[in-house]
Amino acid sequence: MKFLSFFKNIIDEDVKKKTDFLRETKIFDKIPGRKLVHVLGALRERDYVKDEVIFSEGEIGRALFIVQSGRIDLYKNMPDGGRKKIASVNPGEFFGEMALLEERPRTTTAIVGEDTHVFLLFKIKLDILLYSKPDIGVIISTRLAKIISARLRGMIDYLESGERKNDF
Amino acid sequence: MISEHRSGKYSQYVLPALVLVVFLYLVVITRHSLLPFIISAAFAYILNPLVNYFTERGFRRIYVISAIYIVAFVLILLLGYVFVNFLSDQFVAFHKNWPAYVEKLKVLGQSLNAKLTGRFPFLAQLQPEIQQKIVPVMTAVPQYVLGTLPALSFLFLIPFISFFMLAGGGAIVTFTLNHIPAGKTEIVLHILARIDVSLGNYLRGMLTEAFMLFVIAFTGLSAMGLNYAAVLAIIIGISGLVPYLGAFVGVVVASIVAYVQFGTLMSVMKVVLFFCAIRFFDDWFMQPYIMKRAVELNPALIVFALMAGWEVAGFWGIVFSIPVTCILKELLLISIEIQETEFLWKPKPQPTRMSIPYT
Repeated sequence: MKFLSFFKNIIDEDVKKKTDFLRETKIFDKIPGRKLVHVLGALRERDYVKDEVIFSEGEIGRALFIVQSGRIDLYKNMPDGGRKKIASVNPGEFFGEMALLEERPRTTTAIVGEDTHVFLLFKIKLDILLYSKPDIGVIISTRLAKIISARLRGMIDYLESGERKNDF
Repeated sequence: MISEHRSGKYSQYVLPALVLVVFLYLVVITRHSLLPFIISAAFAYILNPLVNYFTERGFRRIYVISAIYIVAFVLILLLGYVFVNFLSDQFVAFHKNWPAYVEKLKVLGQSLNAKLTGRFPFLAQLQPEIQQKIVPVMTAVPQYVLGTLPALSFLFLIPFISFFMLAGGGAIVTFTLNHIPAGKTEIVLHILARIDVSLGNYLRGMLTEAFMLFVIAFTGLSAMGLNYAAVLAIIIGISGLVPYLGAFVGVVVASIVAYVQFGTLMSVMKVVLFFCAIRFFDDWFMQPYIMKRAVELNPALIVFALMAGWEVAGFWGIVFSIPVTCILKELLLISIEIQETEFLWKPKPQPTRMSIPYT
């Protein structure tokens, strides 16, 4: 039995949990399970505690954030100097995807709503994945394009509904 | 919000600055003991992608590192056994033929000397001066070789230190990253990722290239029937880790062996042509594939880096000069990029005309 427990110790259950989690996210859900290890290798991880400011509106974005646990709130600066919460990002969701396409100023401020564990995907790591594993790169690029398109449609609907006039 | 309110105060940087100063002071006073740790860190960095390959597939880090060390140890023993047996023939032959080689070189030297002093009489005046300078260098060579023997202890020390760096390094990096101010994490990780990508590509490229040089040199020199082909190929492969040195060392050493063995200039020409072909093959076929994602360094910059490395830290300065240049070049590019993006020195153009609506 001790022999078997030795082999059980060799396997890191944490890695399986991470790949299972990534499989559930919208951006990586079409990637075959065995290939998710390449994605996992390209990601960095970090813990944030409540009230930490991850980035501020106007700062240059360089990474996509995927929330594994906890919650992150996104705020928009208001003309009167205050800020308004426009969305909350929950486990399995992600934000900051524009940083993977172009290094432009962030459009919101991200503040940790409750203790959070996130995965970060940097543009340079994604570029390597695109060139070294094109089959994975095509899937991620397509998903990214669809997600950005969906968010743009949502924004247009939001503006057309007149809510912007009242909220901003 | 608390973190935002405190972010503007300079007092928060006092303690980190103090720790940095103490750390740098410790580095300065222990600089003579640092070399094995720097080499171990470089060794661990090269091994890390292999360790990550298995950890990303669900194996625990410590077991992966232990397994790699055990496999490497067994492989080294096996290869050592095969190589010693294989090379021992060459060493025995080399030892047996050495007096004849020395005699041949002496005759060659004397005839060359007579010819040169006959044509250029002023060289005869310089001869005692040259001898005066060369003889001490030649007599110092055995001392220099003996002086490098303590470095052999590195062979045991470096894998030992690297093991613990590989095992504990990940946890230290994670701890550090989790304690960087949240707002700075993105830029710090961005810089680290950029350096990691360019340096990793360069080192992997260099190792692959050195191994290919060894294989090609061994095959070619064996085909030419040159003695000590394996020994020469090993020297060429190792010196191939330093840009341009592999081909240079190869052509010089192999030409001497060829001339002494065959006694004709044609054999030397063959060796020179062979190394020209290797250089051509390396520049036109190997490097575009091996180094395609590495940092591109201008040959003049490489030569300058090698010379500066030699001036700063001798042999190890040469070994580390190119990786350090890679890091410096990447840092320079990132600095320019940050100036352009953060401070809008050079705003990037829009990829499309914004007036066209989303359709």
